[in-house]
Parts: sequence; structure tokens; C-alpha cells
Amino acid sequence: MSEVIPAQAKVRQVDPARPARRRRPWASRRAIGQPLLYAMLVSLAIVYIFPFLVQLATSVKTDAEAADSALSLVPQTFTFAAYEALFGRSDYPIWFANSAIVTVCVTLGRVFFASLAGYALARLDFRGRGVIFALVVGVMAVPAVVLLIPKFLVLNQIGMYDSYAGMILPLLVDAAGVFIMKNFFESIPVSVEEQARIDGAGTFRVFWSIVLPMARPALITIVILSFQGSWNELSHFIVSTQSPELTTLTKGVASLASGQLSQGTQYPLKLAAAAIMTIPVAVLFFIFQKRIMNNTEGAVKG
Amino acid sequence: MTRHKSRAMVGAGALAVASALVLSGCGGSGFDDSEGGATEGLTSSDDSLTILIAASGDAEATAVEETVAAWSEESGVEASVEVASDLNQQLAQGFAAGSPPDLFYLSSDAIAGYADNGSLKAYGDELSNKDDFYPALVENFTYDDEFYCAPKDFSTLGLVINTDLWEAAGLTDADIPTTWDELADVSTTLTTDGQVGLAFGAEYQRVGAFMAQAGGALVDGDTVVADSAENVEALEYVKENLSAGNFAYAADIGAGWGGEAFGKGLAAMVIEGNWIGGAMTADFPDVNYQVAELPAGPSGQGTLQYTNCWGMAADSPNQEASLDLVEYLTAADQQLAFSEAFGPMPSVQSAADAWTEANPEDAAFLSGADYAQFLPTQAGTADVVADFNAQLEALKTGDPETILQSVQSNLEATVG
Amino acid sequence: MPNTVTTPRAGSRKSSGIRRGETAAGWLFTAPVILILGLFLFVPVLMAIWVSVSDWQGRGSPLSGEVGFVGLDNYAAVTSGGGLAERNFGLSLRNNAWYVALVVPLQTALSLFLAVLVNRAILRGRGFFRTAFYFPSVTSSVAITILWLFLFSTTGVVNSFLGWFGISGPNWFNDPSQIFHNALATIGITGAPEALTGGGPLGVSWYEWLGGPSVAMFAFMLMAIFTTSGTFMLLFIAALQNVGAELGEAGVMDGASGWQRFWHITLPQLRPTLFTVLTLGLIGCWQVFEQIYTGTQGGPAKTTLTPAYLSYQSAFVGQEWGEGSAIAFILFLIIIAFTVLQRWVLRERPVSKRRARQYEIRETAR
Repeated sequence: MSEVIPAQAKVRQVDPARPARRRRPWASRRAIGQPLLYAMLVSLAIVYIFPFLVQLATSVKTDAEAADSALSLVPQTFTFAAYEALFGRSDYPIWFANSAIVTVCVTLGRVFFASLAGYALARLDFRGRGVIFALVVGVMAVPAVVLLIPKFLVLNQIGMYDSYAGMILPLLVDAAGVFIMKNFFESIPVSVEEQARIDGAGTFRVFWSIVLPMARPALITIVILSFQGSWNELSHFIVSTQSPELTTLTKGVASLASGQLSQGTQYPLKLAAAAIMTIPVAVLFFIFQKRIMNNTEGAVKG
Repeated sequence: MTRHKSRAMVGAGALAVASALVLSGCGGSGFDDSEGGATEGLTSSDDSLTILIAASGDAEATAVEETVAAWSEESGVEASVEVASDLNQQLAQGFAAGSPPDLFYLSSDAIAGYADNGSLKAYGDELSNKDDFYPALVENFTYDDEFYCAPKDFSTLGLVINTDLWEAAGLTDADIPTTWDELADVSTTLTTDGQVGLAFGAEYQRVGAFMAQAGGALVDGDTVVADSAENVEALEYVKENLSAGNFAYAADIGAGWGGEAFGKGLAAMVIEGNWIGGAMTADFPDVNYQVAELPAGPSGQGTLQYTNCWGMAADSPNQEASLDLVEYLTAADQQLAFSEAFGPMPSVQSAADAWTEANPEDAAFLSGADYAQFLPTQAGTADVVADFNAQLEALKTGDPETILQSVQSNLEATVG
Repeated sequence: MPNTVTTPRAGSRKSSGIRRGETAAGWLFTAPVILILGLFLFVPVLMAIWVSVSDWQGRGSPLSGEVGFVGLDNYAAVTSGGGLAERNFGLSLRNNAWYVALVVPLQTALSLFLAVLVNRAILRGRGFFRTAFYFPSVTSSVAITILWLFLFSTTGVVNSFLGWFGISGPNWFNDPSQIFHNALATIGITGAPEALTGGGPLGVSWYEWLGGPSVAMFAFMLMAIFTTSGTFMLLFIAALQNVGAELGEAGVMDGASGWQRFWHITLPQLRPTLFTVLTLGLIGCWQVFEQIYTGTQGGPAKTTLTPAYLSYQSAFVGQEWGEGSAIAFILFLIIIAFTVLQRWVLRERPVSKRRARQYEIRETAR
């Protein structure tokens, strides 16, 4: 569910807040509501943040304490046992490496392919463009879950099942990315390219050295979306692999949660596993925080 | 849509159809379509073996890995053991991909489905130690009159008692329950705040023992008898005690399974099988316990028996080596070693005396073998049992008769 | 899709000679996308259609000669026939329908509420609160499910918290009782009238259909609301910032109260965003899979079984590949039907369409 990302980036810096708006005739009336407003905001924020704090605290508790005093944020006996078990006596490092490999490949691939296709759909005039665009849009409408069984069948049929190729290739293109790039390229004035064309630069040359550098904000958006999407992907890996050495974090941790690797409750261990897998996306989130927030401006209309 | 566009659309469709045809042409599975299950010769090649297991814990995984490695040394055939994160799913994907593991754990309820689609090799009759297995186990892995695979070990259910809590409640060996009434009494005695008398999983795989004690079963031969009066009586008894609070499902007291409830002291007694020994040693070494036979019900003693076998894939390129490995793994001394590592009982009769001698405290489990029932093995019954389990979870508020009637009709639809 | 396919100026310069060879380049540029989408999205769908009308059993290739065509048998098995397959499908539909019916409006309302609150906070606080509410959205569903299993365990955070108020919380993820039944039980009504326990569609009695989601499913619902409200909040904030402030001014001059102003002036302007949020919510909520796979595998008592998970389970675990594919396609149709229905209900009046157009132009012009 968390992959629901608006497929249209408005890549621009919003002037945040527009201070002018703050001084309204009814500002005085609003002032009365301010303490109430903040009380509500703060209590909601606690509800949203507290689970993650508890998660971190529990991951350094003992099993018994995790079950007895779930609410406390300060462990009585501080132990890194869960982390030691994850990195010392489990396949966790392998899972992490696999997730990293897949994420890097998918992110690079998506950035390149989405910008190529986006440019072609926005700028090049060729027969069949409408059909391709329709295909891309149509594909966006197919729910991922419907594809679980058939994706496995096709991978199986072409001999890519249980390989890095089978894990990465199907994820290399996502329609939303193409969409974002197309919209961005349409917003760049054509005049920029005209001069280069008149000078005799080829299409790829124009794209590569003139248009692409201008598209940096949009590219960062794609990087963020791809990274998050492939790092958090689970269902595709369930149907494309079976070997333990190809298990990714999502699949491994899911089996740790309740699959056959799960033994008893072991909350500190499981929460530690979940916490570590959240770190990369969280770091990315905080680095690009502003951009992510602003990119969600404007949305797919239907 | 303009004409120009629709023509292009047709073009795209044709492209897709063409590529689908090309795909079907290159058919990605390289196996010959010989009927699996026929007991013609076994395949033989230099291929290495892959063994897929579902381990109950590290102890089991390590034991199997070491044993297979030892066999590899001896035979010169490379073999690797994989611990499945989801055995059923991985088997299904392997069969569909035409690259299944050569040998794998196989539960008795999964045989029918895989045998029907030809995924399994029926190799039972090729085993040199075929006559050493308990006849009841052989029967369990016989489908359509073919003995499919070698039972790797077996377990029965017993009553596992926390001796410290037992003594703390002022109970002695004389109080070990032998009837349903006594079981209800002692479990009430043992129930305190934060601790129930008896816990077990919310599943037929545990509750079924009570049905057996009442004289009931799900199927009798090929007749479905799920809604018998005996079964109703058993569920009524369980429901009554669940409602009273002296029995509880493991999940309801915050444990993943009976063993965990027991180890954490959430339950003073649990109904579990031999596998609890390994778990207690590994996770809860400080808990003192003893194993008794389950109490007798209205129709006498009853328990359930569990066994897995070493399934062999019909598509395996090196079945000769697999067979040799199975014989190695099921030899009496090897099974005794496994038993020591993670607790199941050897599936061969020649190991029985040695096992009892080595595990006097677990003798109750082996005694259960005399009166143990099997789970139904017909195709499709696994789904019915899963549905039954779903309904058992709500037994406290449910109506035993209604539940059993639905199980009856579901079973009739699959078995009948 | 108001985005028109043609771009301005496209085609008008064909003759200029500058843009020759564009057809080749265009196809070349889009080739990777076409190939991958075709191979991993389009072909699979065709293949799944075949499997859903075949008797393929999961051994070897479904395209081999031995696999037979069985027509709509697989579809019939899950929608009629009175077997277990039908009941499972019925239960999964019931669970997911309640999930959609409650999660979509709640997450929309909450995200709008958060957006309005955050939008009124002063500048510095705004960033912090936005971050706090959005953060759950970046975590993977696997990680968040594990956290949830812990929070809602018997002695977990939620029950400890409820304990402060003297409430003994349920054993969330192991409680299959349906919440409406529980609500009735608190006022002393247990059991069901004869009329409801009898037959019902898809092998599930009316009493079960109408009982609402189970307590376990309810915990999943809270999780969905928790993880999606942040994303949708951002969409609403963006929309709110674009709502003309001058309209608000006008409202004040007329003496409209804040609530009225919001209801009559702001909300209509948010229609496009509202539409987006509802659509995304609907599509997302009908395909609950990862949480179930990670957390409960459909238990307790099948009350968290969803069509998506059932489809996976039928195929990969139960060897019923045909039925699994059939369930997936029925789910596909359900999603399409709901999306279309919702478009029709929320169809834009001509006025706001023009508005939206203006708004778009204004946006892109920046």
C-alpha cells in the first residue's frame, strides 16, 4: 500500500507557506484556536511516531521484557543480542546484499529507460506513439496482484526463474516513471533543443547532453520512487525466486515474521530485523525530504 | 479512436500473440513427459542432489546437513541441503519450473495432490529396508496401491507436564490424569492468574486427539464420519473447558505454539509431540517437565500420529543416488542419531528397543503408537482440515455440531 | 486522462527536415519499455487467461500439449458448486469488502483532516508535522506488519495502553470474532435470527456477511490507515495551497463560518484531489496481499483471507493453478468495476472541469 505514489511530479520549488496568507482578517479568531490546533497536532504526531520509538527500544530489550513491559521506551537490561543474532547467526546479511543489488540495478535501469521513453513520448513525433502511450497507461491499470501467478509462469517459461535476471528485469520499467518523465519533458521549452538540432546534433545527442541534464529534479524523483519501490518490493520476489541465496530482505524478514523461520514470538529479533530494513529508505527520505514533500503536488487525474 | 490508431493496436496485439507463441515454442522446462509414479527404472546421472527440508529448528537443520555431508563423503555425490522458508510454496514452484529438489520432506496430506499430477516418483518398493518400516507408516504413504516414499521418522502426541508447577500445586504422580474428568480437574487446579492448566494449538492436529479418545475420526476407510456423535461429544468437552478457562489455545495466551506457551510458563500442561524435546532443550533449558500418555476418553485411549516422508521428484535426473541417500538416512542407527538431535521417533522397527532405552522419559510417545490415528490422506483433505482448523479457532463461541456438519459435507465433496 | 497525447507543435515541423529519422529514434527510445512491459505484463496476462480456462496442474509447462481446455470450470468452481473453493472465495470477498468499505472513507477523511491541520500550523511546525505523518508511508509493508504484530500482541503496546483505562484489550490478531457481532453482544444480543444463518451468496451466510470485519482484520485496517494517510495528506496539502485564498476572503466577507467556508468553498475545489485519493485508495485496498502474507496467512479462522492472498495460496500452495488465476481475474474485474463506478459518481461538472484545466495550465506554466 505504501507504494501509492502520485504518478505526476511537479518538479519545482514551491514557495512554502506564502506568509502573506497568514495575516487575514480572521486571524484573531484563529488565534483562539491555535492552542487547540497544536494540542491536536502534537497528540497525533505522538501516535504516529511512538510505534517507531517502541520498535527501536524493544529491539534492544530481552525477550521476556519485550513481552512484559511493551510500553516502556527504556530497556531495563540493554542488550544487542537481537542484532548479534541477525548478523552473526542468520542469512540477514545475504538478504541485505540481495536487496541492495536489486535496488541499485532497478533504480539505474528505471531512470535510464523511463527518461528515454518519456522523452520519446513527449518530444518525438513518430507513428505508433499514441499506441505506446496507451499501452503504458493501460499497464498502470493492471493491479500487481493479478500478475502474481502469470509472472511466475512467464519467468519459468523463459528460464529466468530463480535468478537475478528474473528478479530485476521485470522491475526495470515502471509505467509511472515514464509518465513522470513525459510530463516533465513536456514542460521544457522546445527552443532549447531547436538550436542543437539546427547545429546537426542527432536525437540521442540532444537527449543525452542537452535535455537530460535539465531534467535533474525529475530524475531525482524517479530515483526516490524506484529506490523505495524496489527496496520495499515483496510479491515479485515471492514468485520469482526460491533459493535462500537469492532471498531479499522483504522475503526473508516476512518468513522470519511468521513463516517457517519463525520460532515463537522473539519480538526483539523481529523488530530489529524490521528496523534495519527501514534504515535505507528512511535515510533516503530524510535526505530528499523537501523534494518528496513537494513532488506530491498535483496528482494523477484518473 | 482513429483508423490509424486502431490498426496500430491490432499490430501490437499481433506482436504480443506472436511472442506468446514463440515463448510456447521454447518451452522452458526440460523434462521428458514420462509418467511419474510408474516404477520403471530410476534415472541416474552425475548431477548433484538438492535436498529441501522444513526444519523445526536449528537442531534439525544442522543434523540433516551434517548427515547428508557425511553421505556425500562416502558416495562421492555432491548434495546440498536447503532449509525452506515455505516448503509447500517452494515445492509447487519447483514442480512447475521443472526443477524441483531431488529429495524433500513431504507430509502425508500432500502426497495425493502431487501424486495425481505426476510430480512424485513412487520408489517405496525399491527400498532395501522396505520391510523394516512400521506397517502403519507404510500404509500412510501408500496411495493408489503404490508405496510412494520412505517415512523419515514419526511422532505421536503426549501430555507434557511442567513438573515444577505440578509440584507447586501440590500434585503428585498419582494425580496424572487418565480420564477426561481427571484432566479437567487437574487443569483447573493448575490454572492461576497468567497461567492456564492445559494449552494446545487451535487445530485438528491437536484437538483430533480428543476425537480419537471419544472413538471418533474424520474418515473411516473411504467413509466420511466427521459428524458422528463421538466427535460432537469430544468438541463439546473441549469447548466446555475452553470456556471455563482451564484449557486455552496457545494463540489465545499469546504464544506461537504449544511449546512456547509451555516454555514460558503460560501453560502448565500442553499436548505436543516428540518435537517439543528439541525446542525445550534449545529455547527453555530451565523448564523441568515429564511426558505422560494422553488420558483415555469415553472409548479408551487415543492420540494422533505424525510422519513425513522423503519425497522424490519424478523429474529428478539422479534418482539412483537419491534412493541411496534415503536408505542411508532411514537406517536404524542414523534415525537414532536424528532422534537424539531433535526428538522424533525412528520409523523402523529395528530401532525401537534402542530408542526406548535411550529415551526412557519419552516412552509415553512410543506407547501411543499402538493406538494412534492418522490424519486423512485423500486428495483435497488438507484443505478441509485447514477449514476445520479455521472453525476450531472459534470453537469457544461456535456450535460443535454445526462445525462438524460443515466438515462432513466438505469431506464428502472431496473423498466421496 | 485529460492529458492529451499530442504535444503542442508535434507534427507541425515534419517538413522542416530537422526532425527526420524520428520514427526510428522514437521506437528505439521506447523499445526497452515496450519489451519489458510486453514481456512481463502483457504476455503474463494472456498466459494467465489461458491457465484460468485450462486444467493445468502445476507440473511442467502450462503450454505443453497435455494441458486441456476446460472452459469456465475454474470460474464456476470458485463462484458456485457449493464446495470449499466457493466458500473460501466468499469469505475472502466478505473480508476485503469490509476492508474497503471502512478503510477508504476513513483514510480519506483522516488525511484531509491532517492536511487541514498541518496547513494551518505556522511555518516551522509545518515541516515537522508533515514529516511525522508521512514517515510511515516510506516503510515497507513487511516491516510495518511486524511492528503491528508486536503492537497488537496480547501483552503488546496497544493492550498495555488500554489497560490504563481498565479495558482488557482483545487478542487482536488471534481474534476471529466479527466486530458488529461483538457490538451486539455488548447489548446482550448473541446468536443470529434464523433467517440470517441460512443460505447466503457464495456459501457464506448472511449473518457472516453482515458481521463486519473480524477483530484481526480491524487491526490490519488501522495499519492501512496509519501507512497511507501521510501520502494522501501531502496530496491534500498541495491542493489546499492552490485553493484560491481570495475565495476564502470572499467567504469571510459574507460572514460564513470556518466550517461552512470549508464545506462550501474549499471542499468543492478539492474535488480532483479527492477523486485521486479515493481512486488510489480503492485500487490499493482491493489488493491486500503483502500484509496478509507476512502477518496472518489468512487466519484467524480465515477472517483475514483476501482474494489476492487466496489467489496466491490456491496456486502456489494448493496446486489449484486454474482456480487461482480465475480468482485473480475476478478480482481484476471487481477493481475495474469499482473504479468506473466511482468515476461516474464523482464525475466532474463542466464548470469544475474548466477550472481544473485552468488550474493545470497555471501549474505547468510555472
